Amino acid sequence: MVPVGACLGLSAILFGIGLIGFLARRNIILVLVSVEIMLNAVNVSLAAFSQHLHDPRGQILALFVIAVAAAEAAVGLGLVIALGRNRPGISMEELTDLKW
Amino acid sequence: MPLQAAGMAFSYLAAASVASAILAVTRRNPVHSMLWVLALFLHVAGIFLMAGAQLLAAVQVIVYAGAILVFYLFVLMLLDLPSETAGPRFGAHWPLCAAAGIAFAALAWYAEEPGLASSAGRTADGGPRPVSLSEVGTALFTQFALPFEIASLVLLAAIVGAVVVAKRKKES
Repeated sequence: MVPVGACLGLSAILFGIGLIGFLARRNIILVLVSVEIMLNAVNVSLAAFSQHLHDPRGQILALFVIAVAAAEAAVGLGLVIALGRNRPGISMEELTDLKW
Repeated sequence: MPLQAAGMAFSYLAAASVASAILAVTRRNPVHSMLWVLALFLHVAGIFLMAGAQLLAAVQVIVYAGAILVFYLFVLMLLDLPSETAGPRFGAHWPLCAAAGIAFAALAWYAEEPGLASSAGRTADGGPRPVSLSEVGTALFTQFALPFEIASLVLLAAIVGAVVVAKRKKES
């Protein structure tokens, strides 16, 4: 059995990497994938807590996180397809129409 | 499994997942990034197994690596961005972003409660009892039956929303 502290440290590092990708990447699809990395990091800590506290609710919450991640992927990629149809590039820096 | 072997396996899985996450975020070619994300997801599934969450490990491989990632790859290849590998892969403000990510990870690392490693949920011999698969299933279909059904509604709404958003507008 793995110690819960190690899992939480791994989860923190993975979340940080996902956050860097989310903020810094220009490709909008990779920005969405970075969100998935962050959700996965949270799932790692939920599974660790579920094991540590001997409570199945942690795993169930992680399952719902995966379901919501699937929904987010569907809507996000639908938006990306609509964007890609109407514009030449899908770089984050070109999406400034709502900026004031 | 002996304790030392479990520790070594966890060290390998953790190091490999961190390395593949870093590669996924930094690769120039988006398809290479996707493949590193696939490696990350498979290693995280191994970590789920070591944490005693067999159902999560299976769902991670089937839903995340099998469905969601393939969906991302499809859209990536559908849009076909030849110019994407030529330009810079990070925005101009990337040092700030890296600092924010590292600061968040450090905060989450140091914010760990000292009382977290207490004896809550431990058996008399000191080892944590694993949560059995049947416990998870029973809780999912009794206590959490309504949220489970609502999750299907969320997925349906997301599918319909994605179709509406991505649909080609009729010329009028």
